[in-house]
Amino acid sequence: MLSEREIMRYSRQIAFIGEEGQERLKAAHVVLAGTGGLGCPAAAYLAAAGVGRLTIIDSDRVELTNLNRQILHWEKDIGREKVVSSGEKLGAMNPGMVIREVCETVTMENAPSLIGQASLVIDALDNFPARYALNCAALEYGIPCIHGAVSGFDGHITTVIPGKTACLQCIFPDPPGGSEFPIIGTTAGIIGIMQANEAIKYLTGRGSLLENRLLIWDGRDSSVTILDLERDPRCSACGDHLPGAPGTGGRR
Amino acid sequence: MKITVRAFARFREVVGEIQALDLPEGSGIPALLGALASRNDESRDLLFDEQGMIREHIIFMVNRKRVGRSALQTIILAEGDEVAIYPPVAGG
Repeated sequence: MLSEREIMRYSRQIAFIGEEGQERLKAAHVVLAGTGGLGCPAAAYLAAAGVGRLTIIDSDRVELTNLNRQILHWEKDIGREKVVSSGEKLGAMNPGMVIREVCETVTMENAPSLIGQASLVIDALDNFPARYALNCAALEYGIPCIHGAVSGFDGHITTVIPGKTACLQCIFPDPPGGSEFPIIGTTAGIIGIMQANEAIKYLTGRGSLLENRLLIWDGRDSSVTILDLERDPRCSACGDHLPGAPGTGGRR
Repeated sequence: MKITVRAFARFREVVGEIQALDLPEGSGIPALLGALASRNDESRDLLFDEQGMIREHIIFMVNRKRVGRSALQTIILAEGDEVAIYPPVAGG
């Protein structure tokens, strides 16, 4: 049930998604992996939208070089854990949201326990080994995962629905290299907000998702291209040869 | 035959806005990439590794359909085909 204050607070979106949609957001538990360039804007909009529970995962501490894009981390936060820094801002934005801060690196070992209770996972990580681990855990539990990545003026986003769409490993069977990448802050902002937009659509059942579609953003000329995708039946993460495939939440 | 190339992200920056490429009849993806790589060293580095193999993380689409690793060497292009090349980004 929504309180009177919540009905007022979210009135401008309830006019669109209804009280039922707002209740769905309130009942949701979103797990956000990464509170960097993508994670900060995604988390801010999810907090503003009234998502009930948000788990934020990041093992890094705030550095000076983060500040051109990671908008929840400020000068005063340099040296602090990113989950603490962003958790503080998100809590101030929306005290009604329950926030769980996890200062850990996402690995194959811990990913299942980190996301097991989630309604939805957002992949806002900055490297493919951790992204693959998150993808595998999301497939295992049958939890949708919204993947986004950026570099320079370029970004892409897709929504993975286990058992239905191509998974991250179907789309990118081989990891792109490189660890430190140049980045214009707005690129991360645009893709991060698109990830929040996918999350809101999924949770409220509105619109259509980027299922089996890779949206490619090019900030040089503000162009958007959508590539159609297909599940790879021989995928090493969700292929038909795996027990319990295709990924309907029963791989264990 | 004329092949339309759509370059994305970093690759678009390196090779520029290519619209059409003239290739001999019967050419495949390797010939197309060879022609692109001959434009400058940066293009070659982006498309091929040190052993001259096509970099495996790049996404290739022919007429908007994904071309898998195995088909990359065998597919034959035809007049008017569109080849999209996307070297995915990884950062967050």
